[in-house]
Amino acid sequence: MRLLGRLLGSLLLVAAPLAAQTLDSCRQSYRRGLLAEADRCYQALRASPDPYLRAEANWALDRYREANEAFKQALAAQPGNPDYRDRMGRLYLSHEQTQDAVDLFNEALELKPDHAGALTGLALAAAGGFDAAAIRLAEKALAASPRQIEARVLLATIALEDNNPEKAAEEADKALGVDPQSLEALAIKATIDLLDDKPDSPHLATILKLNPAFGEAYQTAARFFVFNRRYEEAIELYRKALKLNPRLYRARAELGLNLMRLGHDAEARKHLEACYNAGNTYPSVGNPLRLLDSYRNFRYIRRGNYVLKLHEKEADLLEPYVEAELQRAMATLEKKYRTRLDHPVQLELYPDHEDFAVRILGMPGMSALGVTFANVVAMDSPTARRPGEYHWASTLWHELSHVYTLAATRQRMPRWFTEGMAVYEETATSPEWGDRISPQVILAIRDKKLLPVAQLDRGFVHPTYPEQVVVSYFQAGRVCKFIERKWGFDKLLDMTRAFGELKTTPAVIREQLGMTPEEFDKQFLAWVEDETRVTVEGFEGWKKGMQRIRELVNKEQHDDILREAPAVRDLYQDYVEAGNLYQVIADAWLAKGDREAAAAELELYARAGGKDPAVLKLLATLLEEQGRKKEAIQALSRINHIYPLDEELRRRLGGLLLEAGDAQGAVREFRALVAMKPLDQAASFFNLARAYNSAGRQEEAMEQVLLSLEAAPGYRPAQRLLLELSR
Amino acid sequence: MRFILALLLTALGLPAATHYITVAGLGGEADYDQRFTGWANTIDQVLKGSRTGAKSEVLTGAGATRERLRKALEAAIQDCGPNDAFVLMLIGHGTFDGVNYRFNIPGPDITEAELASYLNRLRAGRQLVVVMTSSSGGALERLRKENRVLIVATKSGTEKNATIFARYWAEALRDPSADTDKNEAITALEAFRYASRKTAGFYESQKRLATEHSLLEDTGKGEGVREPVPEEGQGRLAAAFTLLRFGAAQEAAKDPARQKLLAQKEDLESQIDLLKYQKAAMPAGEYSKRLTALLLDLARTQEAIDK
Repeated sequence: MRLLGRLLGSLLLVAAPLAAQTLDSCRQSYRRGLLAEADRCYQALRASPDPYLRAEANWALDRYREANEAFKQALAAQPGNPDYRDRMGRLYLSHEQTQDAVDLFNEALELKPDHAGALTGLALAAAGGFDAAAIRLAEKALAASPRQIEARVLLATIALEDNNPEKAAEEADKALGVDPQSLEALAIKATIDLLDDKPDSPHLATILKLNPAFGEAYQTAARFFVFNRRYEEAIELYRKALKLNPRLYRARAELGLNLMRLGHDAEARKHLEACYNAGNTYPSVGNPLRLLDSYRNFRYIRRGNYVLKLHEKEADLLEPYVEAELQRAMATLEKKYRTRLDHPVQLELYPDHEDFAVRILGMPGMSALGVTFANVVAMDSPTARRPGEYHWASTLWHELSHVYTLAATRQRMPRWFTEGMAVYEETATSPEWGDRISPQVILAIRDKKLLPVAQLDRGFVHPTYPEQVVVSYFQAGRVCKFIERKWGFDKLLDMTRAFGELKTTPAVIREQLGMTPEEFDKQFLAWVEDETRVTVEGFEGWKKGMQRIRELVNKEQHDDILREAPAVRDLYQDYVEAGNLYQVIADAWLAKGDREAAAAELELYARAGGKDPAVLKLLATLLEEQGRKKEAIQALSRINHIYPLDEELRRRLGGLLLEAGDAQGAVREFRALVAMKPLDQAASFFNLARAYNSAGRQEEAMEQVLLSLEAAPGYRPAQRLLLELSR
Repeated sequence: MRFILALLLTALGLPAATHYITVAGLGGEADYDQRFTGWANTIDQVLKGSRTGAKSEVLTGAGATRERLRKALEAAIQDCGPNDAFVLMLIGHGTFDGVNYRFNIPGPDITEAELASYLNRLRAGRQLVVVMTSSSGGALERLRKENRVLIVATKSGTEKNATIFARYWAEALRDPSADTDKNEAITALEAFRYASRKTAGFYESQKRLATEHSLLEDTGKGEGVREPVPEEGQGRLAAAFTLLRFGAAQEAAKDPARQKLLAQKEDLESQIDLLKYQKAAMPAGEYSKRLTALLLDLARTQEAIDK
C-alpha cells in the first residue's frame, strides 16, 4: 500500500528524446505543485503517437485501463526496452498486481541486469510484503546507480519501520545529498519529527515551499502513524494529504480503510467508493467495500462501555460467553493498568477468517488471529478456525491488553513492548492460555537467534527468517515476564509510562532498570535459557523418543508405552499438538482398562494447555465416571474458551451444572444450546425449562416447556414438568 | 402436520417384522476397513438391542462378498411378507463410471442394477435402502421405487471422496437426540436429518469443502432432496418408516385396559396437530392459550396411561 507514494515520486527518465522533454515538463509541473498545469500537459501528451508517452499520460490522469493498453502497445513496438517493462511493472504494482509487476521487473533485468529502476521495483514489491530481501534489492539498485533516490528512500522507510529513526534519517540525508530537493526524502525526515510529537517540522515547511500540493508528504507520515498504531492522528494526516491533492486515491483508500478500522463505516464507505468509482478497483478498495456490505449481517450489541459486533448466525450463542469474558478482561485490565478508557471498546468477531483479514488489511490472506485499532478489537470468531486450533478467550485478553497499554501511552509504545505485554497477559490470566513454546522457538533459543531487546521490533516487522515473528512474540512475552519476576509488575507500568513519553527502548531500559540494554540482554538470556533448558537441551532426545513411542503405538505395546513415554513427554511438556504424548499415555491406560490413570494423564494435558475439544470431552467423561463432577465441569468449561459451538458440550455442561446446583450456569448453557437451533428442539427447550425451573424462574420455565411440547407433544419428561409447573 | 398423526397410527400398528442387512464394503486400507466394520457393527448391535424385533444381519470384512450379499438378499426375499419392512444399509466405497454404480466389496463388486433386481423382488411392503458410499448418488436413479425410502450419501456419482455419512447414521441410532418428536422411535427421516446435519457440521467445523451431500428420495420418481419436507412430498414415507424403537409406547398400545385413554390421547394429538396447522392464521395469544390447554390435557392423559 505504501508503494504508490514512492512510485509517484519516482522520476525515471526514459529514453525517448523528443517526447521526453514533454513528459519531463509534465512531471516538473506536478513536482512544483502545479496540478492543473500538469493535467493539461498530460492531456496533450495523450494524443502523442508514442504509445509509451500515452501510457504515462493516461496513468498520471488516473486512466489506468488506457495506460495499460498503451504500455502493451509500447512493449509490442519495443520489446527490448527494459524501461518500458519497469514502468509497466510500476503501474501493476500500484494496482496490487504484485506478481505481474515482479514478472515485468525480472524481464527488464533479463534485458539489462543492472537496471536500477527494475531492481528498485523488485525492492518495492518485496517491501510491500515486509520481506527482508527488500534491503538487499535496494542496495543492489544503489550499486547499479548511486543516484537512485527511490531506493535510498526505501531504505530510509524500512529503517523507520524498524523503529530506527537514526538510520532512517541517515538514509534520507544520503538521498538529499544526491538531490537536496527530494520531496520523498524530506517527507521521511518530516515523518520522524511528526512521530516525535514535533508538529512544526522544518522539513514539512520545506516540502510545501517546493510543492504546495505535495500531499504525499502527509500520506507518508500517515502510513507511519498507522504503523505505530496511532490511527486517529493518521486519519488527520490523510485528510491533510487529500486537502492538498484530492486525487491521491491511494491516500483516500488508506483513509477509508483506517476509518473503517476505527468503526467510522459510513465515512469509510464514502472514500472507498470514490476510489472505486475513479477506477481504483484493486483488492484493497474492493474487498473492504464488499465487507462493508456484509455488515448488515452483523448484530451490534451496545452496553455501557463496550459494543459487541457479532455475526447474526452466531450472535445468540456467542454473546453470553464473549460478553462475560470481555467484562472480566476490562475490569481486570482497567485496575491493573490504572487506566480508564475514554471511548467504549468495540469487539468484533468474524466467523469468516478472510473477512477478518479484509477488515484489518483490506486484503485476504493474513494469518493473525486478532488485531487492535485503538479501542476497536477485531478477531476471528471461534468458528473461523477448526476446533482446537484457536483459543479465542486468550486472543481476546491479548488484544484487550493492547487497548489498555496503548491507551495508557496514547499509542506511543514500541511494537515489541505492547506485544510482549499482550503475550504476558495471556498467561497471567491463566497458565493454560497463550501459545506454548514451539519447536521454532526452541531452535531459536538453541541457535542463539533471539534479538537484542533494542532491536526486537525488527523481528516483528522485517523478519530475516520465516519463523522470526513467532519467535519475537515469544521473546517479547518472556522479556515482560522476566521484568515482572525480577522487578515486579509495577516496573512494567513504569516502563509503559516512560514509553508514553516517547523514550526509546535503550533509554527506558537504562532509566527504569538501571542497566545498559546489553547488560539486560545478558541477564534476560541467562534467565530464559535456564527456564527452557530442559526442553532446549532435550529437544533432540524428545524427537528421537517420539519416533520410538510411535513404533510402540503401532505395535500396541501399552506397557512399554507407559514405561517409556512419560520421560519423553517431560522433555517437552509444552507439546500438546497432534501426536502429543499425553494422549498416547492416556490411550495406553485406557487400553489397559485403567480409566482413573487415563484421566490423571489428560488432566496433565489440560494443564499443559491442550486445546483439543474431543480430548477435553473425553477427560470430562472419565472424570464424570469417577464421580468428579466438579472437575468434569471444569474440563468442559475449558472448551467454552476454545470452541463453544458444540451441541453436545452445551448439553453435557448444562446437565452437570444443573446437577451441581448451578442453575444460572445451566440456564446459560441451555440458552446457548437453544440458540444453536439444534435438531432436537424438544429436548433443548425442555432442558432450558428445567434450568429456569431450578433457578426459580417458573414463568420462563413454562414458556420453554410449552415450546418443547409444541415440538414434540408426547415428550414425557416435558409433560411431567408441565404438570408440575401447572400445579 | 396431519401426516404425523398418520405416522403415529402406523407406528402403533407395527409391521410384523423388520429385516435388516448391513454391509461394510472393502476399505482398501486398514484404516477404512476398521472404520467401515466398526460402523456396521455398531448399527447391528443397536438394532439387536432394540425393541424392534429385528432380524439383523451384518456382513463385514472378507465375509462381505457378492455371493454372501446375494444369499442374504435371497433370504430376505423368502422371509419378508407384505406386512414386513426391509432395510438395507451399505457402508464403504462406491464408484460410478457415468452409467453404473458399483458397491466395492471383496471380490467382484455389485452394481446397483443387480441390487435393484433383488430389492424389486422383495414382498416387504416398505423398504429402506441406505447407500452410504462415495458416488452413491449415481445409484439413485435405478434404486428409487415406489414404497421405498432411498437415501444416498452423495448428491451424484461424481462425488467420489470417501464419505463419513455412515458414521453419523450409526450415531443417529444411538443418540436419543435423533428422536426429535420424542415418540421413542427413530424414523428413517429423523436418522437422515441427524446424519445429514452432523455430516455438514463436520465439514464446516473442519473448514473443509464438503465433498458429500446426502439425498433422500421416497416418492419413487424424484431426484432426491437434501432437506425433505413431508408436507411437500419428499420425506413422507421416511417419516413413517420406523427404523428403531427404544421406548415403552409399543407395550402400552397392546394393553386393552388402556385403549380408551389411548384413543383420547390420539384425539388430543390430532387436535394439537390441527391447531399447529392453524397457527399462522390466529392471534398469538389465542394460539398459546389453546395449545397450553391441549398440552395439559395430553400430559394428564399420558400420566393416566403410565399409571
